[in-house]
Amino acid sequence: METTNKSILFGLYNDEEIVLQALKEAKGQHLDVYDVVSPFPIHGLDPLLGIEESRLHIAGFCFGLVGTLTAFLGMSWIFTKDWPMIFGGKPYWSVPAFIPITFELTVLFASIGMVITYYAINGMGPGVTNPVLHDRLTDDKFAIAFDAGNASEDEINKFKAFLENTGADEIQMKTI
Amino acid sequence: MSAVVSPIREPLITGRKSYHDITEDICAPSERAPSLTWVFAFIVAVTLLGFGVFSILWTIWFGIGSWNLNRTIGWGWDITNFVWWVGIGHAGTLISAILLLFRQKWRTGVNRAAEAMTIFAVICAALFPGIHVGRMWVIFFFFPVPNTRGPLWVNFNSPLLWDLFAISTYFTVSLLFWYTGLVPDFATLRDRASGLRKKFYNFLSFGWTGSAKHWSRFESLSLILAGLATPLVLSVHTIVSFDFATSVIPGWHTTIFPPYFVAGAIFSGFAMVQTLMLITRKVLKLEDYITLQHIESMNKVILLTGTMVGVAYLTELFIAWYSGYVYEQFAFLNRAFGVYWWAYFAMMTCNVLSPQIFWFKKMRRSIFVTFVMSIFVNIGMWFERFVIIATTLARDYLPSSWSYYTPTWVEIGIYLGTFGIFFTFYLLFTRIAPVVAIAEVKSILKSSGDQYIEEHEKHYQKAIDNKVKQH
Amino acid sequence: MKQFEISSKQKSVLFGFMGVGLLCLIITFFIDDAYRPRFWSNFLINSVFFTGISFIALFILCAKFIAYSGWQTVFKRLWEAYTQFLIVGLILMAIIIVGLFGGFHHLYHWNDAASLASDTLLQGKSGFLNAGVYTVLTLGIVGVWYFFARKIRALSISEDGQTTFSRITHQKLKKWSAGFLPIGGFTSAALVWLWIMSVDAHWYSTLYAWYVTASWLVSMLALTVLLLHYFKTLGYFEYVTVDHFHDLGKYIFGFSIFWTYLWFSQFMLIWYGNVGEETIYFKTRQDLYPALFYGILIINFVLPFFILLRNDTKRKTGTMVAASVIVFIGHWLDFFLMIKPGVLHTYHEVAGGGHGHASMNADQSMTAKLISDAGAHGAEHASTFQMGFTIPGFLEFGTFLGFLGLFLYFVFIQLGKANLVPKGDPYLGESMNHHV
Repeated sequence: METTNKSILFGLYNDEEIVLQALKEAKGQHLDVYDVVSPFPIHGLDPLLGIEESRLHIAGFCFGLVGTLTAFLGMSWIFTKDWPMIFGGKPYWSVPAFIPITFELTVLFASIGMVITYYAINGMGPGVTNPVLHDRLTDDKFAIAFDAGNASEDEINKFKAFLENTGADEIQMKTI
Repeated sequence: MSAVVSPIREPLITGRKSYHDITEDICAPSERAPSLTWVFAFIVAVTLLGFGVFSILWTIWFGIGSWNLNRTIGWGWDITNFVWWVGIGHAGTLISAILLLFRQKWRTGVNRAAEAMTIFAVICAALFPGIHVGRMWVIFFFFPVPNTRGPLWVNFNSPLLWDLFAISTYFTVSLLFWYTGLVPDFATLRDRASGLRKKFYNFLSFGWTGSAKHWSRFESLSLILAGLATPLVLSVHTIVSFDFATSVIPGWHTTIFPPYFVAGAIFSGFAMVQTLMLITRKVLKLEDYITLQHIESMNKVILLTGTMVGVAYLTELFIAWYSGYVYEQFAFLNRAFGVYWWAYFAMMTCNVLSPQIFWFKKMRRSIFVTFVMSIFVNIGMWFERFVIIATTLARDYLPSSWSYYTPTWVEIGIYLGTFGIFFTFYLLFTRIAPVVAIAEVKSILKSSGDQYIEEHEKHYQKAIDNKVKQH
Repeated sequence: MKQFEISSKQKSVLFGFMGVGLLCLIITFFIDDAYRPRFWSNFLINSVFFTGISFIALFILCAKFIAYSGWQTVFKRLWEAYTQFLIVGLILMAIIIVGLFGGFHHLYHWNDAASLASDTLLQGKSGFLNAGVYTVLTLGIVGVWYFFARKIRALSISEDGQTTFSRITHQKLKKWSAGFLPIGGFTSAALVWLWIMSVDAHWYSTLYAWYVTASWLVSMLALTVLLLHYFKTLGYFEYVTVDHFHDLGKYIFGFSIFWTYLWFSQFMLIWYGNVGEETIYFKTRQDLYPALFYGILIINFVLPFFILLRNDTKRKTGTMVAASVIVFIGHWLDFFLMIKPGVLHTYHEVAGGGHGHASMNADQSMTAKLISDAGAHGAEHASTFQMGFTIPGFLEFGTFLGFLGLFLYFVFIQLGKANLVPKGDPYLGESMNHHV
């Protein structure tokens, strides 16, 4: 993710329960929260921000299915058509023997596929640098952030008031 | 909205820690210079590693003849060590994946190190199938890729090939799972670092910011990976057991092998985790995060899986008699009274008898007993694989084929070398990465930190009364 | 916190079931062949099925206690009620024992003196496979289980009276649970071998006991889902929420896969080794009972896997009820297929003049003999579809209904003997506020 020259107004909090309370307030005031940053996942946060459940499991299922078919159809073709050989008196299409590899490849494809998807949709990867709002957000501070770029003077003051009233320790504006 | 936690639960984080304390305590080891203990241990590990590399090169140069494998003992220390290391590797994924699915909060103190241990153990394990083939330079024959040799395909019907797929998948998925969890913690280190260190951790943390959406997907991914890794863990050692059970050799061809091997793997894996954690927590001063409660919980798992292994032994013995099959009956009599009786005795003592000590709570919570036991268990499990492999092969169907096996210095050297590999990697891990999962521990602080016990007690009864009122 | 009381409507329905079951048993008895194989195998299958569900409920209760698991607390009284059925199980198996001594049935080949006289293999096993050992172990072991079931239930109920959470009772419960687990683990294997595996007296599998136990477990969980849903419609178990059902669904999903894994391990290893003495077990079932053989895999693996894979299906009443019914019947069919082929084979052997398996040593011609036996029988069976064996008929399902009625009636009575909500359990708050 390159810097997009966004102007972010955020407040730093000391505790996740205060953040959750604040977000309920924000919902009540119809404030459009840009993001919430925390050092660990906060339970109960997603519905307050309108974050829907991730669809990674669908990706996982599809990749897994590809793995299953690749393995099973691949082995079936190789052992019946391409180079059939008799091993231990077993039939060419020895289904029980195919199961372990089919299972493994299903898991392998599903995992690798999902992880790559995860990093892709998160905009992450080896060496990628994403803008960091504050160094202590991966330590013990929490942030509620608003997009101040297109906001009017009024709205920015509303944001600032909200952050102050809900117990933010510090309020900062940052361009990322 | 605090967590509803039964007052009967013991805290999992002691020392009245704050989030910042957690960061400081766990990041500290990688932020200060290595201690003398670490340097000394590293030198020993690298020396062993060096000797291992030498032994491996010796093997490749002079061939498998430099080992003492013979007819009919075609598998000796090589496969014993392979199964032993794979078994040890099972604890990590079990702790991360299965305990995540069972919502056991105590896993957060040990999962990061245990997963790292898994990866290093699997590397050690994978070494053996690699080098025991003799002609390492054509090892690409193993891989099912279209080729111009026919095309000559691999034997998909062989459990040895299933192993290849299983171990590779296991390594990959464990690595992915471990790394996914490490990324937020690397970000913590990145944000505390400067200069070259910051660049290093910046690279490793993949651009993690801690944004809500990222955490949401992170939790989703963790859960699904856990769901995938759980059957994977079971399948890997199951497939390793298939190496033996698909044969028709008495003592090998028995249907209980799959779950019995998995139980044994978890057994030895947890023992190794105990060994490592007891030392790590002391040296890195992490006793507040890897508490006696963690140690006791792991000892319970050791007791459980050890008993399952014991049940399997007794089942095999009984069914050998029950089967009326003379060769099966002989196989077990031979194990106990034959030329390798001492290995069987070591196995039974270490695996069946010694874990019984963990029925006593005092023993489960004793650091000394746990440490000694963890070594015993791994010795026992090594002997179990040796008994299964060497004893059985030494005395199979045809008396004229009966043979005996002792390892050469080369084989012993390779085994010692794997300890070198394992501990070198582990020691590097403790320097570079946080040994305890920082973000995960923070997420259980409110529910399991010792300073919140009174709070939980106070509003626990209220939580019940509220529910009762609602109905 | 309502106390449960069995209603007259429930009593009528359950007595109705039992009546149907009794009727079917009587009809089966009279239309059956000599030695009554169909009647007795129906009796055995159902006795073993429900006694096992009772046992595994006790085992799981203890396991969850040791694991400090709290989420099941709001419905643990249901599982406690299951465990009390062990006494009925004891009586049911005692009837089988009476049949052993009285020669009323030929469920077990090893109990037939004529076969024993000419069969070295059976003679070799006779130290374990004999009526005396069967009696002592059955009565002794189920007795011990029942003792633990009563003790643990009594302790659990005594917790109700405490005003604050009693750690003393909690400690005692932990100790008794910890004690039962290894005892249950070891002894259940012995009974599985005696009751079920020895029906195919010439065969063996070291995995068998674990496989049967997994089948019992899934059945028990499925029945729990069905009963909890039923009770909730009546207003009981009000603290059981969709989150509890979600977890139960996860358990059914996970353990169905575990059952399949054990099924596959047993099957594949025997298929791969291709040893005649072992493969005969599966060959008989694949060739002569194909509908059941493949059907069981589909019902117990394919269906629950795809139905319960997604998160949302585990939170829907309709889907969970459907999935539970499917696997409950599916695992009953599993026990059906474990027992019926062996009983039929024994019946043919014994009723066919006791020509049995002539003296064989494992390393001689047993393989050839068995195969030729199977071949001969195959020729018979190929043209003889045996109702009540090849597939279960109305009489089998009726008998099953009867035993189900018996089990449920007993469980309902037991449920009424204690608070549905374990007031003194230290995990109660966690369970009531359980969120997945």
